[in-house]
Amino acid sequence: MNLGAEIWQAVTVCVAAVFTQNILLAYFLGLCPFIGVSREVKTAFGLGLAVIFVMTATTLLNWLAYRYVLQPLGLEFFRFILFIVIIAAFVQFVEMAIERFSPFLYQQLGVFLPLITVNCAILGASLFMVIRDYSFIVTIGYGLGSGIGWFLAIMAMAGIRQRLANERIPAGLQGPGITLIIAGLMALAFIGFTGVLQGR
Amino acid sequence: MTPPGTESQTRKIILTGLWRDNPIFKQVLGICSTLAVTNLVLNTIVMCVALVFTVALSSASVSLLRSITPRNIRMMVETLIIAFYVIIVDILLKAYWPEMSANLGPYVGLIITNCIVMGRCEAFGNSNPPARAFLDGAFSSLGYSFILLIIATFREVLGMGTFAGLAVPFFSGPAWDKWIIMVMPPGAFFMLAIVIWVFRSIQIRLEAKTK
Amino acid sequence: MREKRWFPILYMFLVTAFFSSIIIGFASVTRGRVEANEELAFERAVLEVVPGVSGANLSNAEVHPRFAEMVEEPTASSGGAYLVKRDGHIVAYALPFSGQGFWAPIGGILGIEADRKTVTGIAFYEQNETPGLGAEIVKPPFRNQFEGKVLATQGKPLGMKRPGAELDDSTVHAITGATQTSTRLDGIINTALTEWQSKVGKEGTRS
Repeated sequence: MNLGAEIWQAVTVCVAAVFTQNILLAYFLGLCPFIGVSREVKTAFGLGLAVIFVMTATTLLNWLAYRYVLQPLGLEFFRFILFIVIIAAFVQFVEMAIERFSPFLYQQLGVFLPLITVNCAILGASLFMVIRDYSFIVTIGYGLGSGIGWFLAIMAMAGIRQRLANERIPAGLQGPGITLIIAGLMALAFIGFTGVLQGR
Repeated sequence: MTPPGTESQTRKIILTGLWRDNPIFKQVLGICSTLAVTNLVLNTIVMCVALVFTVALSSASVSLLRSITPRNIRMMVETLIIAFYVIIVDILLKAYWPEMSANLGPYVGLIITNCIVMGRCEAFGNSNPPARAFLDGAFSSLGYSFILLIIATFREVLGMGTFAGLAVPFFSGPAWDKWIIMVMPPGAFFMLAIVIWVFRSIQIRLEAKTK
Repeated sequence: MREKRWFPILYMFLVTAFFSSIIIGFASVTRGRVEANEELAFERAVLEVVPGVSGANLSNAEVHPRFAEMVEEPTASSGGAYLVKRDGHIVAYALPFSGQGFWAPIGGILGIEADRKTVTGIAFYEQNETPGLGAEIVKPPFRNQFEGKVLATQGKPLGMKRPGAELDDSTVHAITGATQTSTRLDGIINTALTEWQSKVGKEGTRS
């Protein structure tokens, strides 16, 4: 595929990953932090940004690892271990770098980084990237799009939950229950985006 | 004859896993990786078997090694052990049940990041003997599985009119207009929310009574 | 010994080596099986589009002999399609197609008669779409639509229209509620067909 076509595919994959194939609302990945950290817009914002950054970087790193280390050696089934190691190492490294170079940024984002290591969406994005056999350029679009999609979902959720903070919710539904219902409604709404990308 | 102390310990482990600290409605952990496959009962059963296998054996293995594992690399070793069992399951499925492996897709691999597995290893496997760790892992994941099966049952029966592939009377007939939403992601979210609501409400009521 | 600084590294290394070797051993033992499974699925799909052979009803053991007996590897003149022959004459072409579905790759075979324009059927060897929605592509109601369709010479060789729309000889209905899968399948099939048509010509003489 020539460069132009690849870039176009990357763009479409990116837009799809944000709306029609949202990694959280369509593929259920990254739910635990989504339910746990979506109470306030401020915290959701920090976590969401961190996710975008880590997701984009790790899908690319994992692409390189898969293509230049695992495949030549015929060890594709090791991808589970290698990807997690890369993700954990990257997050650790970023945390140290931020702490060294920008205490302010560390204050805002630093606390979320360990949470991200176990975010299944990060590993999931890399696994999907392998299954779908994306090229490097398309992976950029996919990682970025998935991250933005997750960010969008958690921001919307936080906004809604902040509004609901003073409502009377039945005891059994408080917390995860109502969050999931909201998530279901959001998922339903996002399905409406399906017709946007014609022929893709 | 086992002393009464150990017997009630086992009962405690079983009850905690299945009800008191049920991973789904009490702790709300680890749903991401398995919710996707709850649209079919058969897929859910396979996924849950894989999970019980992984959690129980991982917890037991972590327990076996707990006295020689250095503290600071403890989590890496746990991740490695969990990944080991998951990869074995993945390879087994690919070789002996390829359609199911394709159905479950990347979600088998995602068991590794499932918070329950790591959670049980950390909370129990590290500080208890292997047999007990195995039991605790098994019953925690069984508690999780039984909730997922409830969700899957509703989703498949209401959305497709079948249960584990077999047609269900009335629901597979023309009189029932299949609820397609149950087959799609929103259906999973709603079903899970309702199940949590029901069980939480029961739990809260029971707790209030015993106070 | 635990307190020595190098112990954690050594430990990690040993544990990794131990578990990895078990996995590698396991994988190599099952590798043959995994490949055999994939081959079986592919061959069965090819047989399913051959008229007269009910490929779906063959037992696993029967698939490979039948395949070897009736199907030949693609040649330069077949444009990448497998050749189904009886008594030395080409009875049909089996064109493989594959691409990205909604959840996972979709792979299948499109059967075309020796006249290079009439479709004999469609079969899938790989798909993982939403059960009840996208996955309905493997069920008879969807697949049967393809039998007897004619590849169009202008524009898309095979079109997919929304359910309820009027059809002609070159169009089939998409699946209700499975817009993504249907759209992608449409793209995958037509890319393969257009490429094939450019290689072998649109209406051919019997060979």
